[in-house]
Amino acid sequence: MRGNTIMEKILTPIHKAESRQSAVMRRLMVLGLLPLLMIVLCIVLGMIEPKFLRSANLINVLRNASFLMLIASGQMMVLIIGGFDLSIGAVVALTSVTTALSMNALIAIFPDSYLLVISLGVLAGLGAGAAVGLLNGFVVALMKVSPFMVTLGTLSIASGLALYMTQGVPVYGMPDLFTRDFGRMRIFNLPVVIYLTAAMLILIWWMMNHTKFGKYMYAIGSNEHAARVSGVKVTFYIVATYTACSMVAALTGILLTARVGSGEAGLGATLMMESIAAAVIGGVSLRGGVGRVEMVALGALFLALVTNAMNLLRVDSKLQTIVIGVVIILAVGIETYQSKRVKR
Amino acid sequence: MSDQVNVDASSGSGFYKMMMGFFASYGFLPVILVFLYLGFGLVEPVFLTGANAQNIIEQASYLIVLATAQMFVLLTRGFDLSLGVVVSVVSVASAMVMVSIAPEGEGPVILALTAGIFTALVVGATAGGINGICVAYFGINPFVVTLGMQGIAFGLATTISGGFPVFGLPDTLINTLGQGATWFGFLSPPVGVCIIILLLSHFVLNYTVFGRSIYLLGSNPRAAEVGGLPWRRHNMMAYVLCSTIAAIGAILITARTGTGEPSTGGGLVLLSIAAAVAGGVSLRGGEGRVIHVVFGGLLVSVLSVGMNLARIDSFLQQVVLGFVVVGAVFLDRLRLRIRL
Repeated sequence: MRGNTIMEKILTPIHKAESRQSAVMRRLMVLGLLPLLMIVLCIVLGMIEPKFLRSANLINVLRNASFLMLIASGQMMVLIIGGFDLSIGAVVALTSVTTALSMNALIAIFPDSYLLVISLGVLAGLGAGAAVGLLNGFVVALMKVSPFMVTLGTLSIASGLALYMTQGVPVYGMPDLFTRDFGRMRIFNLPVVIYLTAAMLILIWWMMNHTKFGKYMYAIGSNEHAARVSGVKVTFYIVATYTACSMVAALTGILLTARVGSGEAGLGATLMMESIAAAVIGGVSLRGGVGRVEMVALGALFLALVTNAMNLLRVDSKLQTIVIGVVIILAVGIETYQSKRVKR
Repeated sequence: MSDQVNVDASSGSGFYKMMMGFFASYGFLPVILVFLYLGFGLVEPVFLTGANAQNIIEQASYLIVLATAQMFVLLTRGFDLSLGVVVSVVSVASAMVMVSIAPEGEGPVILALTAGIFTALVVGATAGGINGICVAYFGINPFVVTLGMQGIAFGLATTISGGFPVFGLPDTLINTLGQGATWFGFLSPPVGVCIIILLLSHFVLNYTVFGRSIYLLGSNPRAAEVGGLPWRRHNMMAYVLCSTIAAIGAILITARTGTGEPSTGGGLVLLSIAAAVAGGVSLRGGEGRVIHVVFGGLLVSVLSVGMNLARIDSFLQQVVLGFVVVGAVFLDRLRLRIRL
C-alpha cells in the first residue's frame, strides 16, 4: 500500500504535466481548427456562390446561428453536469404554443394594454419551460435515473401537450407589437435577436466562470461524489441546472415564435439534435465537467454556416439531416480519440 | 427507505417474502397489467371481447419484436435511438426493391419477395454494424452514435423515397405476412414471427457464449474485458442483432400497411424503449429476459388500445406514454432497492 502511494506521488506530477501539455495542445487544436475551418468554408463558398457574401445572407446566417447558440448553451450546461437533455426541442414547441395561446386569451381580457399581454404571455412561456426543466431535474437528481430516459419521456410529454393544445394547427393572432415590431425589429440593421443572444451568452459566460453556481456545475460534472462529499448541495444544483437549461430553451422558443409570427407545435423539431451537435463540436465532453460557452457559440456558428452553405448549393433539406448526423458522430469520435490519447 | 424495505423483506411472513420475490424478478408489471385490463373493461365492455384480445396481442407482437431488438443493446449497457428510423429505411428500401422487380405483383413475385427480405436484412445489419463499430471499437458514446445514425437514416429514408410512401407492393407479401392472413388456419403471421424471434432470442441469450457475454458486458464491463472474451466483437454483434431484428419488424410493418413508409419509424424508438424498460429490462445493463419484453409490450399495447377505445386524443396518448416511460424508470429503480 505504502509503495503504491509513493509511486503515485512520484508519478503524479509527471502525468499531470503531460496531460496539461496535451490539454493545451488540444485546446489549441480545437480553438485553431474550428475558426480556420470556418474561414476556409467562407472563402470557398464566396467563390462558388457570390450570393453568400451579400450582407442579407450574412445577417441571415448570424440570425439562424444566434437561435442555435442560445439553445446550445442551455444544452451545454446540462452536458457539463454530466447530464443530457433530449426534451430541449419539445420545450421550444411547448413554449411557443403556450406563449401564443395565452397571449390570445389575454388579449380578449385586456384589449388595449399590449405590453401587459405580451409580458404575461412571455412569462407563461417561460413558466412552461421551467416546469419541464423542474420535472427533468427532480426525476434525475432525486431518483438518480438515467437523464436520457427521463428527458426522452418529457420529450414525449411536452410535444404531446403542445400538439394537444393546438391540434397541430398554428396559432395566429398575437399582438402585432410582438410579432411585427419586436420579431422583426432591427438595431443598426441587425435583427434584435442577435443583440439579445449576445447579452445572454455574456451572462452565461459570467455565470459559468465567476459564480458559485458555475463552479459547482463543473465540479458536479467532473466528480459528483467528490462534490457531494465537499458539501455541495448536488441535488439542488442538478435541479437548478436542468431548470436553467429549459428556461434558455423557452427563451429561444419565445424568440422563434416572435420571428415566425405564430405559435407552432412543430417548432424546434430539429433543434434537439442541432444543439447537441453544436455543443459537441464546441468541445463539450459528454462525460461531463468540460465545456466553454464561447466555444459552443463557435460550434453553433459553424453549424449555421454549413446549413446555409447546403441551402445555397441547393442540397436537399432531407440530405441535410444526414450531414448533421455524420458531423455529430465525427465530432464525438474525434473527441473520444483525443481523450483516449491524453489518458495514455 | 431502502433499509426499511430490506428489513421488512427479511423478517416478514412467508407470503410477504414470496410477493417480494415475485416483484423483484418480474416487477410490478403483471399485476398492473391485470388491473389495467379489467379497468378498461369496466369503462368499455367491448375491451374484454375475444376479438379485442386478439387485436391487442397482434399489436403487441410488432412492438415485442422491436423491444426484443432494443433489449439486446440495453443488456450491454447501450442504447439504440436509431431503431425507429432504421425501421423506416428498411421499409422503404425493401419496398422499392420489391416494386422494381415485380410492380403491382406483375413478374417474378417469389424473386421479388426474396430480394426484398434480403435487402431488408442487409440494410438493417449495415446500420447496426456501423453503430456497433463506432461503439465497440472506437469507444464512442452509444447515445451519440445512434443519435447521429438517426439523422443519417432519417435523411436516407426520406431521400430515396422522396418523402412519399412506396406503393404497388405484391399482394403475396400482404397475404402471407400481413395482419389479415393466417398461418395453419389460426396463427396470425406477426404473432408467429414474434414467437419465433422470442424463442431464438431466449436460446441465444441463455445458451450461447455470445448471449452470456452480453450479460457480463452489461453488468461488469471490466470483468468481460479482463476475462479474455472477444468483448468488442460481442458488443458490436449486439448492435447488429438489434438492427437486424428491427429490420424483420420493419418487414412485418410493411406487410401490414402494404406500403413502404418513410415516416412510420419516428415514434417507434420511444415505444420500443418504453416496452423494454417497463417490462423490466434494466437501463444499467446486464438485466432483462425475453419474458420481461413480452410483459412490457403487452402493457403498452393494452394502454394504447384501451385509450383508443376510450376515445382519448392521440396527442394526449403521447403525453401518457411519456409519463409511462418516466414511471417505468422510477419503478426500475424501486425494484433495485427491493432486491438490495
